[in-house]
Amino acid sequence: MTSFLIRRLALSVVLLFIISIISFFIVTMTPGSPYPWGELNPKISAEVKANFRKKFHLDRPLHEQYTLMMKDLFTGDLRSIKDDRPVMGKIMERLPATLALNITAILISLSFGTLLGVYAARHAGRWQDMAGSFVAFLFIALPGFWVSYLVAIVLVKGFGVPILGTRSYGIVFPSGFAAGLDTLWHLLIPASILAIGGIASQSRYLRATMIGTLREDYIRTARAKGLAEETVLYKHALRNSIRPLVTGIGMLLPALISGSVIIESIFAYPGMGRLFYEAVLERDYPTIVALNFIGAALILLGNLLSDLLYAAVDPRVRLE
Amino acid sequence: MRSLRLFLYGIPVALLLLLAAAFVNATYLSVAKKNEMSIGTLGEPSTLNPIQQADSASSQIGGLIFNGLIKYNQDLEIVGDLATGWELSQETTFQFATEEEAKTATIPASQLNTAFNFKGEISNTEQKGKNLVITLRQPGLEVSEKIAGFFEKNDLHPLPFPALEPGGKERPFKAEPIIRFTLRDGVRWHDGAPFTSADVAFTCRAIMDEKVASPRRSDFDLVESVGTPDPKTVIVRYKKPFSPALLSWMGAILPEHLLGKLDPSKWPEAYNRKPIGTGPFKFDSWKTNEFIRLKKNPDYFLGSPWLDSIVFRVLPDPLTLQLAFQTKQVDFWDVSPWAVKSLEKDPRLDLFSVPGNRYNYIGWNLRRPMFQDLRVRQALAQAVNVAQMIKHIIYGRGVQSTGIFTPQVWFFDPSVKPLPYDPAAARKLLDEAGWKVGPDGIRVKEGKRFSFTLLANNGNEVRRDIATLVQDDLKQVGIEVKVEIYEWAVLLKRFVNKGEFDAIVMGWGLGYDFDQYGIWHSSQTHPEELNFIGYNNPEVDHLLTDLRQEYARPEIIRLAGKLQQAIYADQPYLFLFVPEETSVMWKGSYRIRRPGPSPGEWIDAPVTMTKAGWSYDLVWFYRPEYAPKQ
Repeated sequence: MTSFLIRRLALSVVLLFIISIISFFIVTMTPGSPYPWGELNPKISAEVKANFRKKFHLDRPLHEQYTLMMKDLFTGDLRSIKDDRPVMGKIMERLPATLALNITAILISLSFGTLLGVYAARHAGRWQDMAGSFVAFLFIALPGFWVSYLVAIVLVKGFGVPILGTRSYGIVFPSGFAAGLDTLWHLLIPASILAIGGIASQSRYLRATMIGTLREDYIRTARAKGLAEETVLYKHALRNSIRPLVTGIGMLLPALISGSVIIESIFAYPGMGRLFYEAVLERDYPTIVALNFIGAALILLGNLLSDLLYAAVDPRVRLE
Repeated sequence: MRSLRLFLYGIPVALLLLLAAAFVNATYLSVAKKNEMSIGTLGEPSTLNPIQQADSASSQIGGLIFNGLIKYNQDLEIVGDLATGWELSQETTFQFATEEEAKTATIPASQLNTAFNFKGEISNTEQKGKNLVITLRQPGLEVSEKIAGFFEKNDLHPLPFPALEPGGKERPFKAEPIIRFTLRDGVRWHDGAPFTSADVAFTCRAIMDEKVASPRRSDFDLVESVGTPDPKTVIVRYKKPFSPALLSWMGAILPEHLLGKLDPSKWPEAYNRKPIGTGPFKFDSWKTNEFIRLKKNPDYFLGSPWLDSIVFRVLPDPLTLQLAFQTKQVDFWDVSPWAVKSLEKDPRLDLFSVPGNRYNYIGWNLRRPMFQDLRVRQALAQAVNVAQMIKHIIYGRGVQSTGIFTPQVWFFDPSVKPLPYDPAAARKLLDEAGWKVGPDGIRVKEGKRFSFTLLANNGNEVRRDIATLVQDDLKQVGIEVKVEIYEWAVLLKRFVNKGEFDAIVMGWGLGYDFDQYGIWHSSQTHPEELNFIGYNNPEVDHLLTDLRQEYARPEIIRLAGKLQQAIYADQPYLFLFVPEETSVMWKGSYRIRRPGPSPGEWIDAPVTMTKAGWSYDLVWFYRPEYAPKQ
């Protein structure tokens, strides 16, 4: 167990190193420059450009830039080229809105997905199952941006309801309650759309394992004992079908702070996805590299965590 | 068991209920509006420190928090802002080998004026050791050169001064223009500290500071010194005549008492996201990627704004801006030409249009032999139907461009007429230039087909459409055009910066400055410089240099007119069109109430488009439901 941990951690460090190099070079070798004043500006002299490059070490060879950037990343001194603020501060600033959006979306997808999955498994092979599968595949197939635009257009054109950002602006709210509901509204719309794919996959996974579980001897025994069908389903079958969900928890970690560029852009939501997207457009190398690095670290950590959890819930699995 | 089921069904049901409640809430939200203006801005400002930014989002917001010494009024004339007045003059210094000679050369100003038939151009002459300092009423080189010639004729030999620009010529004198600003009384920073000349001197120092990395630095390179004889006077001395320098004083002034002792590396946290200025609005709050809110400055020197606050909503793209406008979450919307027609009919909206200050063009790479013949470039211009382009691409909302200046600016020359669309004349010119129609219908000269690649950038539909129409028009006269579209950064890196392309569809939006040295001077053709088409015309070079040294308005108009004519005659670009800019507002959501010419008088007017845009006078905008009592 200990040797497993040490090996995995060592491997993760090597992997992270490789990832950081690759992402750094991809990012810095993309055409474009991080100048904040646009490329073709007759008011900017070559001297000003040179001074700017010097300030952010962009005049050094790439390998030196990489070392400097990594050093700054680990000491927390990494600064955004766009506004000269610490990158970590910029990321932390996005965290509350991102966490709110992702936790809500995960909650929606888990709850609706479980409901749909159990329903489909219970009626496996019958029309209810077909309908459930249809809904699930439809949800997987629907492109997020298309749904977002559709929802946005219906709500704006049809009902004139504000949907952008985290709340409505310029309005005198009649009460704090109305203001709270307004904030919730601005959260639930993007979160629901973000959750669509999750609902579908969660329901499919659960349906598959649950059908397997329902064929087990102990389920037959439970039914033979005369237990209520509800108890059989939820107490015996669901609990034993939940293992894939446990492994999935590892992936929740990166999902919590990850952002959705498309949905955040359409709903003007101030999340991590927009930070990343705008950093890419502005060639804000430090921000891109830091976000890539943190994302990769969380995925590796999540994988490790799910392996450990897997061993914890299933005694047959041993980590060596 | 019950608890698990409650959990499994409870959460979805609760979520659906909440969604329904929130929807009902959003639909029936009271329409009572705060006394707050909401403006949508595309792209987040990088900083609100006006000397460290150059993007339009930052400038728009910074313009409300800060003031410059001077500004444009709504007709784009220069008027005082923090300065109530300014005087231009020049000190020309002649240096002689001996004090004796200097003494001989020191002729009283009145005598010199008479000698040259000047109307008081020379206001003072003074001997300072071996130097003779002549004060002139107007900066420039002409008068000083005349005086130098006069000395030579009278056997006086001033010593040469080194040239100021590399490759420039030595001159027998040193010409130092001087701007003397008189500052407004009683102006206070948002924190209550008085605004003085020390702030102006500090701003200039800060811009020159390498650690600040200011993009405005090149404007101040020529400043020799900034003198502050008293708190209300600033005297700026320049190293040489450079007339666009006056415009650089439109830039915002920073508070010395807050930043003077603070290292620039501390500015981003301490100041750049919570600036203190002198403007009509104070900074209130900033949530990244969401909004920036300003609140009114009741102590503003021109009077308190009517609005309580202005919020700038940071929106990612034009589509979200449109959605925000439709739900009245932002009050203004800059619409694309295609949408104008349908919106014009909507009785719920007010539309304002103004000719834009940008133009689209096709740049011919003059390093390519096929574009070096003027007849060919004229033929290209006459073969392309620009009127058709305006009609189909921007729905008639624009005018044909007649050169490097747009009709918006005061030095525009209206006498320049666009080359007419005339394919027959184009064919004739091409024939004359030796390009004969070949067997496949494409013209050939010395075995080379007239075929080139036209580049445009991805994501810009207007430019893509231009390329397509040009391709079609030129095919009619026997020229083959291959269109290639690249991502903007790739386009710049691989083609424009290296000057390696045939032709390119681009546009310029250059503000109101007459100085276009960087774009047209023959010294600016190196990689990454902006004369990327390799244009070289000695006459234009002279005009560009003269224009930069000319301070008198009539002379600037004359020289700028000559420049516009000379370049248009050369057709280095195919000048296409100047699109109109249109903004929309919900009908009657704002009016303007501004002070009239006599004290105590107020003028009440609807919002209109001015040359400087609809948002020119935000200080005096008010919502009718919060109409001012005065």
